[in-house]
Amino acid sequence: MKIKYIIIVVLVVIIGILAGVYFFQNEEKKVKRQFYLLSEWASKEEGENTFTMAHKVKSIGTLFTEHCEFKADIISFSGRFNSEEVSGYAARARLPFSKLSLQFYDLDVSFPEKGMAKVTLTGKLTGRLTSGEYVDETHELECVLKKIENKWLFSDVEVVEILKK
Amino acid sequence: MDINKRIRQFFFPSLTLKFLIRASSIALFAYLFFGHICTPLLIKGLSMEPTYRNGSVNFCWRLRFIFSGPKRHDVVAVRFAGNKVMLLKRVVAVEGERVEFRDGKLFVDGKEMDEPYVRYPCNWNLPPRQVEKDCVYVVGDNRNMPIENHHFGQASVKRIIGVPLW
Repeated sequence: MKIKYIIIVVLVVIIGILAGVYFFQNEEKKVKRQFYLLSEWASKEEGENTFTMAHKVKSIGTLFTEHCEFKADIISFSGRFNSEEVSGYAARARLPFSKLSLQFYDLDVSFPEKGMAKVTLTGKLTGRLTSGEYVDETHELECVLKKIENKWLFSDVEVVEILKK
Repeated sequence: MDINKRIRQFFFPSLTLKFLIRASSIALFAYLFFGHICTPLLIKGLSMEPTYRNGSVNFCWRLRFIFSGPKRHDVVAVRFAGNKVMLLKRVVAVEGERVEFRDGKLFVDGKEMDEPYVRYPCNWNLPPRQVEKDCVYVVGDNRNMPIENHHFGQASVKRIIGVPLW
């Protein structure tokens, strides 16, 4: 009789652990998906038409909170911006490129508190300017995403300085 | 007939317990060795030319700094957030030393350094700065570009994960 109860308790614990792992994995996947979308919408193919450009630029704004804080002293870009301003900056940043690719690597997601995700990652931007010059920039980023209306949105983006001149 | 059987056995082995253990051991060893000890590198960029050519392949030996820290002239891999993307640079000064560039020449603690690996002309000027505790100063071998366009500076020793194998 005792053994029966022990087995039931062990099973319940295992199911609980599996459910917990499954739940957190799902949240992690949702967070990582936002980076995938940002990468897709920031990237630019050669000969991109105006409609695609407008759609991508507008979509980028939907990934950010209404008061997103940027801290990127290395590229002299810091301040608090709303989603429309982020779209505007994205449009201006994409303009001089004929081809652009933004890739994210080594995403490490943690959840320091409910409704908040902290992500450390490497961002790599490669592309070719319309002048023909090649661009290859890699930076470590620390991002905070907040869950607002069941959507994970970027609320803080900081560029980490690896090499200090 | 025997040879044919052996060849067939080699390419299409029977799924015996012995075979599964051997295959799993090899897979585990390969994962640990190439994933954590000697990781493959594809060098992209010109900052270490001509020592390391753009597009060349190498391996990052990650056991190099287990017992000792990086020294001057070591070529090291500096990691970003993880291990998938890293910078390949040369250590030119260690903690406590003062680094500066005068007309393209490297000076450490006021003494001009001999750098046979720098083959291209350089005209950099950088005021002296002291390397902080637990840090090293890293620069690429290719300094034939404006100083603003070259990614170099002081890096934490914790970020140095290994050296190229050759």
